[in-house]
Amino acid sequence: MPCEKKPMRYGHSEGHTEVCFDDTGKFIVTCGNDGDVRIWEGLDDDDPRFITVGEKAYSLSLKGGKLVTASSNNTVQIHTFPDGEPDGILTRFTTNATCVTFNSSGSRVAAGASDFLVKVVRVGDSSDQKTLRGHEAPVLSVSFDPKDQLLASSSCDGSVVVWNIEDQSQVTRWTLLPKSNDVSNAKSLCRLAFQPLSGKLLAVPVEDKVHLYERDTWSHVTTLSDDLLSQLVNVVSWSPCGKHLAAASVGGVIVIWDVSSKLCLERQKHEKGFTVCSVAWSPCGSQLVYTDTEGCVGLLERVCERTSAHKAPQNSAAADFDDLFDGDDDGQMDEGVSPQRPRPPEDDDVITSTGRVRNRAAFLDEDSLDTGSLKLGAGGKFPHNDDEDDDDGGSSIAPPPVAPVSLQPVYDGPLPTPPQRAFQPGSTPAHLTHRFMMWNSVGIVRCYNDEPENSVDIEFHDSAVHHSMHLSNALGHKMADISQEAVLLACPGSDQLASKLLCLHFSSWDTCKEWVVDLPSEEDVQALCLGRGFVAVATSALLLRLFSIGGLQREVFSLSGSVVCVCAHGDQLCVVYHRGRGFDGDQALGVQLRSLGPRHRLILDQPLPLSPNSHLSWMGFSAEGSLCSVDSLGVVRMLNRSLGNSWTPVCNTRDTSKSKSDHYWVIAVHENPPQVRCIPCKGSRFPPTLPRPAVAVLPFKIPLCQTSTEKGQMEEQFWRSSLLQNHFGFLSSSGFEIDEEAESRGLKEQQELLMKMFALSCKLQREFRCVELAHMMSQNAVTLAIKYASRSGRMGLAQRLSTIALEKAQEEEEQEEEEEQEEPRRFKETPRLCARQTEEGEGGGGEEEEEEPRPKKRVNPFSKDAAAASEESVLKPVTVSRVARSNPFKVSSGASPAQPRGANILDTIPNRKSTPLSSSSSKSKQSPVLKPLAPRAKSKTQSTLLQLKPKRGEQSEERPDPRPDPRPEPKSREKSSDQTPNPEETENRRPQTGFQLWLEDHSKSILADSPDLDQSELIKEAMVRFRALSAEERLTWTERAKTAMADELRKRKRDEEVGDEEVGDEEASAKKPKSAGDKLSAFAFHAV
Amino acid sequence: MDASEVEFVAEKEVVQIIPNFSLDKIYLIGGDLGPFNPGLPVNVPVWLALNLKQRQKCRIVPPEWMDVDKLEEMRDLERKEETFTPVPSPYYMELTKLLLNHASDNIPKADEIRTLVKDLWDTRIAKLRLSADSFINQQEAHAKLDNLTLMEVNTIRAFLLDSLNCMYKLRSNLQPGSTKGQSNDY
Repeated sequence: MPCEKKPMRYGHSEGHTEVCFDDTGKFIVTCGNDGDVRIWEGLDDDDPRFITVGEKAYSLSLKGGKLVTASSNNTVQIHTFPDGEPDGILTRFTTNATCVTFNSSGSRVAAGASDFLVKVVRVGDSSDQKTLRGHEAPVLSVSFDPKDQLLASSSCDGSVVVWNIEDQSQVTRWTLLPKSNDVSNAKSLCRLAFQPLSGKLLAVPVEDKVHLYERDTWSHVTTLSDDLLSQLVNVVSWSPCGKHLAAASVGGVIVIWDVSSKLCLERQKHEKGFTVCSVAWSPCGSQLVYTDTEGCVGLLERVCERTSAHKAPQNSAAADFDDLFDGDDDGQMDEGVSPQRPRPPEDDDVITSTGRVRNRAAFLDEDSLDTGSLKLGAGGKFPHNDDEDDDDGGSSIAPPPVAPVSLQPVYDGPLPTPPQRAFQPGSTPAHLTHRFMMWNSVGIVRCYNDEPENSVDIEFHDSAVHHSMHLSNALGHKMADISQEAVLLACPGSDQLASKLLCLHFSSWDTCKEWVVDLPSEEDVQALCLGRGFVAVATSALLLRLFSIGGLQREVFSLSGSVVCVCAHGDQLCVVYHRGRGFDGDQALGVQLRSLGPRHRLILDQPLPLSPNSHLSWMGFSAEGSLCSVDSLGVVRMLNRSLGNSWTPVCNTRDTSKSKSDHYWVIAVHENPPQVRCIPCKGSRFPPTLPRPAVAVLPFKIPLCQTSTEKGQMEEQFWRSSLLQNHFGFLSSSGFEIDEEAESRGLKEQQELLMKMFALSCKLQREFRCVELAHMMSQNAVTLAIKYASRSGRMGLAQRLSTIALEKAQEEEEQEEEEEQEEPRRFKETPRLCARQTEEGEGGGGEEEEEEPRPKKRVNPFSKDAAAASEESVLKPVTVSRVARSNPFKVSSGASPAQPRGANILDTIPNRKSTPLSSSSSKSKQSPVLKPLAPRAKSKTQSTLLQLKPKRGEQSEERPDPRPDPRPEPKSREKSSDQTPNPEETENRRPQTGFQLWLEDHSKSILADSPDLDQSELIKEAMVRFRALSAEERLTWTERAKTAMADELRKRKRDEEVGDEEVGDEEASAKKPKSAGDKLSAFAFHAV
Repeated sequence: MDASEVEFVAEKEVVQIIPNFSLDKIYLIGGDLGPFNPGLPVNVPVWLALNLKQRQKCRIVPPEWMDVDKLEEMRDLERKEETFTPVPSPYYMELTKLLLNHASDNIPKADEIRTLVKDLWDTRIAKLRLSADSFINQQEAHAKLDNLTLMEVNTIRAFLLDSLNCMYKLRSNLQPGSTKGQSNDY
């Protein structure tokens, strides 16, 4: 039958703590490291009496109104109980006593000490004392035999000794325990115990088991063990009836056995797993009190219910039993006998028989129950149950050691987690006298609960929003939120007062800046938040109430679970609620995201992911409007709209905290620039109000693998960048203006990263990876990648890439078309009707209209520069889009005319934007995201397409048989110039390579040799001759060429000229291959 | 060099402030500052911090070393050591004075800090005087003084240089006389 475990409570300061019951079972008496003995009237007693016995109290024992304690001044003292008057010093040791215990009659006290001695002292006459010498280390524990003849003790030297008290001699000795040099170092306290009443068995905790030794023969009769007892057993304690044995381990497990059957009756675990260092049964045997080394006291109620049901009859019978044996034992136990004291009989058979007699008498005598006469040790010597009648726990020989220990069915499956309470994100716990009611990106609301004055301080980060306010908090507001428009406060209801909602609408333009709403009785505000133009309040009635910011009541709807928190941003409202009961430390939370715009709709309703064994500690929107969560393990997650509304961990604040107890208290998340703003808290989870905490900024870091490698780093950067890109799409789709510069910067960064990864994969010979990367690139980046691939001599790769480029170009084209069609539709989504109509009229109009500032775009009120804007400007049309201040001191890098000739194409990525090839991209990047590409740009793309297509064909043509081709093969082209295919051009240009110079000089002579050659044949012939020259000669030509070489820009200009001429050329079929060849040779030229 | 000039130099030191306004990056000859986000710490030179503070546009975050415990430790070490110990900042005196005069409400335990820094300063100046004294007494040609700040050098410079010049003159007057006397002997 499971017992009831009461929650533990603080009893003493940290350290060894002991506990016992008083004789009546009314009081729990504890002593601890603080030197106090506390007398608790039940575990719920909040104001226990206490007796200070010394600096530290090591052990205590209580019997017959006398309390003996072993304290740190090396004495064993007596106090009266319950008055706590000092009653003299019983004995002294040379060091502190470690354990004290009364005998069953209360006439003698045994004490063991760290000076290896055990002393047995008569309570009334401290001169009558016996000293037991023989231990070679501090004594761990002592236990009186109930017959008062023997004494068992255990010691740090590993021995357990049974002494004859009168003779002061050792009866037997075992070496069972691990050795140690001091009680404080001993692994187990080894609190052994004689079975009460009969003294038949001695229980000794040995490692993770309990050994039972039989009296007189001192043979090891049985071992009690349990699977749950995996660590050393610290304490054993017999129930007063002697039938049950409780053992508590270092690991905090308490197990109770029925000794006769070896059945395990109870298994309990300490709620925190601390070492249990003392266990005591109540005299009635139904309660078990225990203490741990942290000074806490716990109680198990209704232990072994079956037994306790019989306790009253048994106890009343005990009196009979006493009478029966009165006189029998007096010879032996003549010291201070009290009439009520039980007489443990000597003879087993007698016990058995008398037990039965008594038992019967007990049942007949039920009316005479008298719990007041309960005495420790008399609490049911014979706890008979009908089925166990023949197996008397106290007197029968213990069962054979091999008997299997059958397990009582105990539920040990997953345990439900207490659901986390509703909280305001950005607030510190409500029980603090000085606390933050809210700290968000707008301001700080502080609450001071000092008696007699309660006040609320409201401070805005930006003094332009509002000056700070100071209110008295007579109503006891517990929750707050603060936004650019208003401050919202709420207090829970009480018996007299309903739960109230107070809104300080400071941005209101009329003179009434305040409104108050009373909630229906018995409905409490549990969470609240402020959105733009609305107030959302979640209540204990599982309702979500919406108000307008001016105080009008709006929609009310039911929540599907008790609320955890609510937060809002713009038109978005997020509600986190309990979806169900979590198990094993996890919370089962759900998150709802709603849009309260013109059309109220549910965007998502899904489970909220949290780290295992954690709870939600912050929830909110980033400044850009993406939902973010922080759990108690410090993981920041962001709702990834582009990944089907899944949650991506973006930062782990624990990674940056120096010690385990340091935490970061998140207050805001920003995406542009990526920042997690938080307050570092040393040794706590939340900051104090004073000194004023400083905000720290943590960067985003997506937990990808191997971020120590270059590849991992770039991958992480890329995905982080693309995650942060999401909010631009969201903002523009919801009609806010966006920081276009930042967006294009982000896009550029992504493409650059892709190119870097491409280059890295190329270097590592990972061509497949290269192709994968190319699929992620934009069309322009692919063109660059093709160049890179061909320059590094990977023609196969270049070829694959060009097909990708082709696909991309087609896709882009299709998209453009779609976009053009979509354009009018898009305008419909914008909030302003009139604007929409005019735009519709012009739908798909020229680019001139597109470039005009759009009056329908709303200002993003969350962007940092808009913070200063008043609430009117939020809805005011913007006529001028924000222009970032330019840096007059900045050295412009993009305009450098000379392009470096280095083989690393990546160095030149930004500059390439000016080339005709990528002009379309630069064009599109400057324009807003969703704008269709300008027609001019489009034609450029197409020309790129045309140029690419034949090149591919040409390459495949060339491959199998390059020799017969009239144009020079790639290898020779490397040496020759990029101008080869166009002889007329060659004439006009200044020669660039050694070969060209040579050709210029020698073409006449070649022509003279063979005048019938045409241009291409001439060059071919020239090349043959050039090759025939010696290396030195060629070198000199090359040298000359280098000095004469034009810079990159000029070459580029010529490239353009070539292009222009080609456009002008009528023979299209001839021009395309030429231009393609041109390009290829241009790459080849770079590779020289 | 005037003390006020040293203070002017110290004003280029960087200090953290928490602005209560929002401003984009500002581009100055000395470098870019900002962007300023309300409630978010940002590093600015002392001159700007003080200017903003005077206009109640920011709160100043005291430098890390401006802490009673750390300063006490430094003061004790300074008292214990014979030589000069490293100071928390090359402009500790100037910064303390500037920040405490203008932003004492943002610095916890401002009075204690003022006393501690003054103690530190006094200890160091006493050391400096002592070493100057022994330098002159022993008629050394050179001495090495580590960990001195500009302000400390500045306080002793005028006096030490003048007195050394003076002494040089006196000695040079004395020496020709003595050599004369010697030559007279021969």
